[in-house]
Amino acid sequence: MIQTLAFYLFAALVIASAVMVIMARNPVHSVLWLILAFFNAAGLMVLVGAEFIAALLLIVYVGAVAVLFLFVVMMLDIDFAELRAGFVKNFPLGIAIALVLAAELIFGIGAYQAGQLELGVASGVAAPALDASNTASIGAVLYRDYVFLFEAAGIILLVAMVGAIVLTHRRTENARGQQDISRQVRRNPDEATVMKQPEVGRGVDL
Amino acid sequence: MTEFFQSLGLTYEWAWGLATIAGILLIALPLMLSVAMVIYVDRKVWAAINLRRGPNVVGPFGLLQSFADGLKVFLQETIIPSAANKGIFILAPIVTFTVALAAWAVVPFSATAVLADINIGLLYILAISSLSVYGVVMSGWASNSKYPFFSAMRAAAQMISYEVSIGFILVCVVLFAGTFNLNDIVRAQEGFGLGVINAYGIHPLLFPMWVMFFISCLAETQRVPFDLTEAESELVAGYQTEYSSMSFALFWLGEYANILLMCILNALLFWGGWLPPIDWAPLYYVPGIVWLLLKTFFFFFMFSWVMATVPRYRYDQLMRLGWKVFLPISLGFVVVISGYLMATGHFG
Amino acid sequence: MVDLEQYLPILIFLFVAAALSALFVFLPMGVSRLTGAHKPDAEKLSEYECGFPAFEDPRSQFDVKFYLVAISFLLFDLEASFLFPWAVSLEYTGWTGWSAMVIFLGILAVGLAYEWKMGALDWQ
Repeated sequence: MIQTLAFYLFAALVIASAVMVIMARNPVHSVLWLILAFFNAAGLMVLVGAEFIAALLLIVYVGAVAVLFLFVVMMLDIDFAELRAGFVKNFPLGIAIALVLAAELIFGIGAYQAGQLELGVASGVAAPALDASNTASIGAVLYRDYVFLFEAAGIILLVAMVGAIVLTHRRTENARGQQDISRQVRRNPDEATVMKQPEVGRGVDL
Repeated sequence: MTEFFQSLGLTYEWAWGLATIAGILLIALPLMLSVAMVIYVDRKVWAAINLRRGPNVVGPFGLLQSFADGLKVFLQETIIPSAANKGIFILAPIVTFTVALAAWAVVPFSATAVLADINIGLLYILAISSLSVYGVVMSGWASNSKYPFFSAMRAAAQMISYEVSIGFILVCVVLFAGTFNLNDIVRAQEGFGLGVINAYGIHPLLFPMWVMFFISCLAETQRVPFDLTEAESELVAGYQTEYSSMSFALFWLGEYANILLMCILNALLFWGGWLPPIDWAPLYYVPGIVWLLLKTFFFFFMFSWVMATVPRYRYDQLMRLGWKVFLPISLGFVVVISGYLMATGHFG
Repeated sequence: MVDLEQYLPILIFLFVAAALSALFVFLPMGVSRLTGAHKPDAEKLSEYECGFPAFEDPRSQFDVKFYLVAISFLLFDLEASFLFPWAVSLEYTGWTGWSAMVIFLGILAVGLAYEWKMGALDWQ
């Protein structure tokens, strides 16, 4: 009973906040609605027993991706009039894409219902220790049977890292306030100070 | 507690519901009380280290100071700046405080006293504490004022920078414990050191991790020496500058609740949690919660101690410490610790 | 298996915490109206600036450095989330899993070294 109630609560909130993401005028509000959507999606994940995925949704999407979105949105100086003009211009294209996606969804579900496809049949070597928590089960499969995909994910992350630097990093030469800690530590009184005994009226050469 | 309510003649469902509500109140209300007291302790410790008296007027030894402050802000006028985005401006303190409270749902206070004993307790805490960025960013952005906005940006960048190394440090602990369940992590520490000491922290590979974790906790909660978001000379009062009344106080309460959470995590993950420090039978007669609170209090004392003695970092130094020191070291330790555990046959 | 009964208290806790926080925010608003402390005026409601009207839009100056920090954080956070299941499943995957992870970390260490070399980790 509670599970059903919780499902409808989360599902309704996901849909409502997803609609608000599109409808909100202020992009910052959109991102905040998106966070609410992620949060409720995590709730749905818990309901189907995928607690690790739920935690990942919160840690990665809410904790990192949405922060990035928020930064980007705050950084942009957005001209709303221009955005709306784009909305009218791109509206037919958007409708077309939505129709294609809907058609694909219908085909996909139809084909799956017809029983012609067998999706995600495990090789059988996986599926270790069923009593383990699902975090451990994911690990046991991912790092033994899908090592190649896992390493490929690593390469993708590397590409993303390099891409981010190439796109956003401006290298400034001899920047102000750059601290060289080893130089600071190496410095000793003998090098840093000199004793001078100037004669009266002569001054000091520095 | 469910059994107790069942013994009153209630059905299981009602008993469970009542027990849960009671448990939530038993966590939330003492937490708020201890936040109030801990602010007093904080001020007393700084005062003692600075050879001052600290709060000593309200109540015996000034014990009621925090409550007087609380009453004062409660009766103040709530000012919402005309330039602010009202909705988000009001929402920000609510988010901050809700998040600060929510993390406590999975903290085990003793072997049985835990509200939600979930498999991924540690991940839950990590996830919830990563949400605390939003309270800060929302308040800074919604204030629509220069200093809060700068402060919020600084705070957000700082919190996410240190969260990276906290994640890797937690992996090191989890490698030893083999689980994310906080209670099981505590149990795994029983007799860990030489068969007598109940703590992960004394292991030569984990001690440096604990030191880094402690420093990252200071940065994550924006305490001295990492309190750049509240650098008065640069940013007035930080992201709460435009706030007043209880909304302002909620940021403080949330901050101290987070500090207490970090202290209790130090105790749970590295220093044996609710286990006595030494695995010796008579010590087990003392209830687990007493040990846990003693350890937590000790770590809180360390937070205050640091606050009273250390000068503030500069922002580039803070970023350097997070990204160039803690991140590579904690990454290296993940490899070293897992290799060590594999080689010594820890995984059977 | 996942014990959903353990998650329900968290949901209830979230509601209680949110209700409590909302109470703390809205109650003083009502109280200050009752006690007469609520007296807003134009000066009080203007944003804080050191005694003069603000010159510019406070949100306009946002540095791209923050974006770089956020994206680095996102990548390393993803990396950490790959470590979580690995850390609890090493007993099943053994040396295979261990060496897979060391290679993965090696790849990302290259990325970190690149960031370092390019000065992306320096805050200027």
